[in-house]
Amino acid sequence: MIEPICGRYVTIETGGRKNRIYFEEAGSGRPVLCLHTAGADSRQWRHLLNDGEITASNRLIAFDMPWHGKSLPPEGFETEEYLLTTDSYIETILDMVEALQLEKPVLAGCSMGGRIALQLAALHGDKFSGFIAIEASDFQPAWYDIDWFHRPDAHGGEMGAALVSANISPHAPAAERWNTLWMFMMSGPGVFRGDLSFYTRDDSLIGRLGSIDTARAPVHILVGSYDLTCTPEDARRTADAIPGATITVMEELGHFPMSEHPEAFRPFFVDALGRMARSP
Amino acid sequence: MLDRLEAMALELERRPHLLRLGRLFSETILLQVDAEEYLLHFERGRIAGIETGPDRKIPWRFAFKTEFEALQAFWQPVPAPGFHDIFGLVKIGRARIDGDILVLVKNLRFFKEFMALGRQRDGVHSA
Repeated sequence: MIEPICGRYVTIETGGRKNRIYFEEAGSGRPVLCLHTAGADSRQWRHLLNDGEITASNRLIAFDMPWHGKSLPPEGFETEEYLLTTDSYIETILDMVEALQLEKPVLAGCSMGGRIALQLAALHGDKFSGFIAIEASDFQPAWYDIDWFHRPDAHGGEMGAALVSANISPHAPAAERWNTLWMFMMSGPGVFRGDLSFYTRDDSLIGRLGSIDTARAPVHILVGSYDLTCTPEDARRTADAIPGATITVMEELGHFPMSEHPEAFRPFFVDALGRMARSP
Repeated sequence: MLDRLEAMALELERRPHLLRLGRLFSETILLQVDAEEYLLHFERGRIAGIETGPDRKIPWRFAFKTEFEALQAFWQPVPAPGFHDIFGLVKIGRARIDGDILVLVKNLRFFKEFMALGRQRDGVHSA
């Protein structure tokens, strides 16, 4: 069976450097821009992009960040230490919104994608019609050493996968557990570490949460009970700091819900979409 | 507990993929459960022997220290949040890891799946 997902490339210029970005999409109607987690790629969203009921009225778009999936690193990467920053992450997302000419999309992000969605809610809330922040919180320092995942004497991807398996729910079907882990196994050298540098060291969101205007663009947070990295307590603390934000705890899910257990995640995502404002 | 560990050693022998993952893993690991200590001698991914401690003369590479109750919860077919992973036990304060943690991380999938072999078979999921 040929799936409805269609993949293309677009070149954006971010921070004065050209990046050839891979994106895929399905559906028509309200645009929903989907952000993958650290150390992975847009394949995490494949089940929702293949969901005909959701794409009947939503145009779901997922892209691979530079260095991830099918988006190559920028020219000169071979001598560069990849370190994602809040500024470069925000700029990349806004450049993609512009390049794809998306009119006030819903922004749906997971993990570091959820973190940056909340940053965009605070700093660029007028450009989006709502935010679905999945496994998202204000800040957590690392409970591991991020340098483990980029060493010449070991395979960072395999170690990263073995670590993040701690965040997958035992309710997840085995096939999707391993599909989810495969993306970490095959991420480029140092990429997971560079993402985690952003995720575990930049706490600038904490002071911005109170300024998010949920009357202009709603914020709904989803968190899985089995998520050790962004726990329900972390997500509740974050939701409590955003006036008007809502939160749902997903009892049988972990840190990668749309990928690890798509069937169980689907109703939560549909509910979240229903909470987002429809553009006039 | 010793019976359980010996059963896990036999289960390990029945899993070619684990023996392949552990083929470079030849280390002695301390498993402490409450006050009981077990020294697991791994040799190329197989359990070559289990000794009950404490024995201060035997060096170990890393130690996984937990409680009997926490380990029983970890070995449930569908463990509760926090009890579903050895790092989860650490995160919720029911276990700790000492020693050369980098050796553990380099062999993390192997060790996690070995520890999960204590789980009831009808509910086995891969660590």
